Amino acid sequence: MASFFFRNKSKNNVDLVTSTKQLLLKLTEDQKPIPKIEEELAKNLQQMKTILQGTPDAEVSPESVHQLLALIVEEDLLYLLANNIHKLLFESRKDAQVIFSTAFRYKPPGIAEPQVLNHVIRRRPEILIALCRGYDRRESAMPCGGILREALKYDAVAALILYDEPDGKTRDLESVNPNIPSSGEGVFWRFFEWIDKGAFEVSADAFNTFRDILTKHKPLVATYLQTNFDMFFEKYNTILIQSESYVTKRQSIKLLGEILLDRANYNVMTTYVDSGEHLKIIMKLLRDDRRMINYEGFHVFKVFVANPNKSVAVQRILISNRDKLLRFLPTFLDDRTEDEQFIDEKSFLIRQIEQLPPAPIPPPTAA
Amino acid sequence: MAEGYQVLEELGSMEPDTLEETRADVDRREFRESVQGHRASHRRSGRNQTGPFVGHAAVRRLTMSQIDLEETNDELSDIQAEIALLGTCHSPYVAQYITSFVKGVKLWIVMEYLGGGSCLDLLKPGPFSEAHIAIIMRELLFGLEYLHSTGKIHRDIKAANTLLSDSGKVKLADFGVAAQLINIKSQRMTFVGTPFWMAPEVIQEAGYDFKADIWSLGITALEMANGEPPNAGIHPMKVLFNIPKDPAPRLEGDKWSRDFKDFIAQCLVKAPEKRASARELLRHRFVQRAGKIEALRELIERKQLYDTQDNHVSHPKYYEETMVDLSPRSDEDEWVFDTIKKATIAPRPPLKRRKTSRIPSSDTESVDSMMERMDLNAGPLGTPGNSPAPETRRRTSIRKSSVATAIRVPSGSTPTARRISNHIKQPLGVDLSFGNSPSTVRHFKRVSSGDKRQALSSNPAPNSFHPNPHARTFRPTPKTNDENEPPATDYSTTPVTKDALYGRRAYSKVLDSVFQEAHADSASSQQRDALAEVAQAWEYLDEVDPQGEFLLLKAMVERLKGDEKLATALGLNVSPAPTPLKQRTRSGEGSLGGSTVYGTGSTRVRSSMSCTDPQSIPRKSPDVSPPMPSPSSRPASAASASSSKGSRLILAQNNPHLKSHRRRQSAYVGGEKIWGADKHGDIDEKRLPGRVEKGMEQQGLLADILYGQWINGLKSRWPLA
Repeated sequence: MASFFFRNKSKNNVDLVTSTKQLLLKLTEDQKPIPKIEEELAKNLQQMKTILQGTPDAEVSPESVHQLLALIVEEDLLYLLANNIHKLLFESRKDAQVIFSTAFRYKPPGIAEPQVLNHVIRRRPEILIALCRGYDRRESAMPCGGILREALKYDAVAALILYDEPDGKTRDLESVNPNIPSSGEGVFWRFFEWIDKGAFEVSADAFNTFRDILTKHKPLVATYLQTNFDMFFEKYNTILIQSESYVTKRQSIKLLGEILLDRANYNVMTTYVDSGEHLKIIMKLLRDDRRMINYEGFHVFKVFVANPNKSVAVQRILISNRDKLLRFLPTFLDDRTEDEQFIDEKSFLIRQIEQLPPAPIPPPTAA
Repeated sequence: MAEGYQVLEELGSMEPDTLEETRADVDRREFRESVQGHRASHRRSGRNQTGPFVGHAAVRRLTMSQIDLEETNDELSDIQAEIALLGTCHSPYVAQYITSFVKGVKLWIVMEYLGGGSCLDLLKPGPFSEAHIAIIMRELLFGLEYLHSTGKIHRDIKAANTLLSDSGKVKLADFGVAAQLINIKSQRMTFVGTPFWMAPEVIQEAGYDFKADIWSLGITALEMANGEPPNAGIHPMKVLFNIPKDPAPRLEGDKWSRDFKDFIAQCLVKAPEKRASARELLRHRFVQRAGKIEALRELIERKQLYDTQDNHVSHPKYYEETMVDLSPRSDEDEWVFDTIKKATIAPRPPLKRRKTSRIPSSDTESVDSMMERMDLNAGPLGTPGNSPAPETRRRTSIRKSSVATAIRVPSGSTPTARRISNHIKQPLGVDLSFGNSPSTVRHFKRVSSGDKRQALSSNPAPNSFHPNPHARTFRPTPKTNDENEPPATDYSTTPVTKDALYGRRAYSKVLDSVFQEAHADSASSQQRDALAEVAQAWEYLDEVDPQGEFLLLKAMVERLKGDEKLATALGLNVSPAPTPLKQRTRSGEGSLGGSTVYGTGSTRVRSSMSCTDPQSIPRKSPDVSPPMPSPSSRPASAASASSSKGSRLILAQNNPHLKSHRRRQSAYVGGEKIWGADKHGDIDEKRLPGRVEKGMEQQGLLADILYGQWINGLKSRWPLA
């Protein structure tokens, strides 16, 4: 019985993959949606999903999973799927997401590496870039985002996104020179746009992926940010921190704090807090009329003040506002009485500001 | 805006500007927040206008709920996760998510409009018949089959989360605690749900899967058959222990068929692996023989009839929300009764509280206006406009206070109730410790509505629920609650003198609640009317002339003191106060300490400088107040007023707002005494720019210890620190 089913399935797997590929190719060519193709695709994808993850009543067969994934890789089905995910029906998009996630997670018995994902990173990084571009459309944003965050557990994926360049050349990670600044045209930089312009769901999902890219693999990101410091913070400040959207603004201030306070980003932080312009932006946030913006802004502001080697520019701003700050801070968000850490940090800042010298003193090592 | 147009496309039934109008309309309406804002306000509108405020022709076929992102304690990412999960559901058996958008600090979620209301609503007139339950069960099973096949566990199946469309379609709603499993075989450990409906394996935190929903479904069937879930009379905390321990509940009674009883027995199998799946249950005879969904319209019509016949019965529901709001703060054993009583008249404060919280802010304002002038002269920053930082703070306190006691939502809009019930619901996947799990709070809600329902079915209009039609005067007009409207400004013209401050304070802290309690305690409607009138007049006085109000109070107290007998009866002779009274006084002080007047040190300094009789003010007012509404003629009411004041204080313990003041108060303990004895020392101290300076060194030490790691980290990284 079992072998009968197995044979049946394995035969189906070949058919399934080839027919799916054909359908996807048709879908790519045609501009208008053809319901018949969509439905057939939906059936195929659902069947694939069932093979890959089983149902509540049926276990998966490891052999069948292995065979199906091998076929999918062989036929380059993932690339087609990634590029056409927005054309699929509602449920099919979710099925596609399951197929991707299962494939990316798949580790054959005895092998510690995710085989399919490794293949994609080495041979088909275009798939990952195509998934990022899923944020161009509302339909594909969420499934693509889900797949990307799954894949972003591996730093190679983050690196591919960060170092992507528009020349279309397949990025060979080994040839990347992290000291060459980015052109700003690669897929990573489009995240600013997606976060800023997207509808709420798209923007929020893009931001989650953006955060994962920037926080999951610290040494990689630290190097990248150092090389591309100016461009990154220029965009970050203008597009995200000063965004019109409350959600974007609030989230990005918070993320900024997380990035700066991360040990791995020490150099980024010191450069960041030397800038008087940055301090001005953050001090404005303290006076925003939305409390959570004040609050998130505070957590960046404190880094400027706690810095024992403040730049002259930063000292000048703080000193000329010393009295105002000393009047402002004691009542700043003073209803946050449950937040011991906040209260203590606030008093710490007050003390630091009181102890500022009367005039800026150049820091010992003006680097 | 682009988002808005998208909505229209999907709906296909609205003119572009209709939605605009809709939104504006909705905006104009009072959208009250609750503690978590999130899931809180949820307003529907449509044809069945059952409650006083429900119904707005402009909104069609849409349910819009909003989350105030400034107020919610949930992480933005958790809210997003919930929306993302909603967005992946697409089934005729699941309430359809349409879109969401951010406007200002509010996130709006647009869902399909389900005019039939929730099954909990529909249960108000009485339990369902077996035929109806069979249909609902079948439809719910379809919904669960869909969710489970897409790897989701709902985790909060109950009548309140089962919505009906106008035509009787049954849809699952509220995915606030739903979980998305990455792998269809994986399990969940998180402790969420609503106790009465929770499966034993969920409570035992032993790992659970889709089968948990089936248990809840069985309980929901019992809820529909009996009007309440099993154990409804038991404290939800205890229920959590009982469910795993007791044998699974069964449907009892001759009026139910064997099929129905067996269906429930199949759902309520304690061992999840032996419990049937949604798909299996769809083959059960009970469900197979179920009729068409159109039959469910009978339930909707029954509810409509019930509402029109018995219009006032919808009012208790109106209060129910208030009860819900208060409940988590009150003492576990006391809140149900107390709050119901209070709720009968309580709804009001927003405006009042607004005032109080505004007053001290005039002081903050100056600080902030200074801040506004702050120049970063290293470079032009641009003028910061009218950035009203104090405004924000004020607005916040308004919201909070309106949460505390404001009238909740009109009847008929269960989604609101539902939303509110969830307001403490935790984000997906977060592990909740037993004690402070959201469900613990949710169950408070549950008790209230359960008890209420019980009360209603046994005694259609018990007196305590029966609102006096004249109590209306105590209810704010919807306008009062409209937080989208600028707060009334008349009072800001009143000169802020210290007497005015005291007057306001006396009113908002003491008199207002005393009026309401006295009102709640008075038995006859005549008495209540009289009280209501006095209260109203006093409210007006407070609005117009807080200073005069205070002087009046003062004069009253002086005169009362003058009359020895009265003074003793009222306990106005300060020093030899009897013990219970003393206690009361102390608690009164505690609550006074919570007032915002103390919020800024400088305010207090000023008042202490010019106040003629500083010490007596805070002490006296609580004692003065009882005689106000009902002199010695009704000692009972005074006593109960004071006892409920006690309970109110307990509430305050949980109130973060007050906690802050307690903290501050304790920080001032030293200063408090100096204040009376040696004004100058105190003033000097308070005049220091950051009053935190006092004891600053210790705080600094504390900061160093607490942040030692962070600071040391910074220092070590900055070589020359």
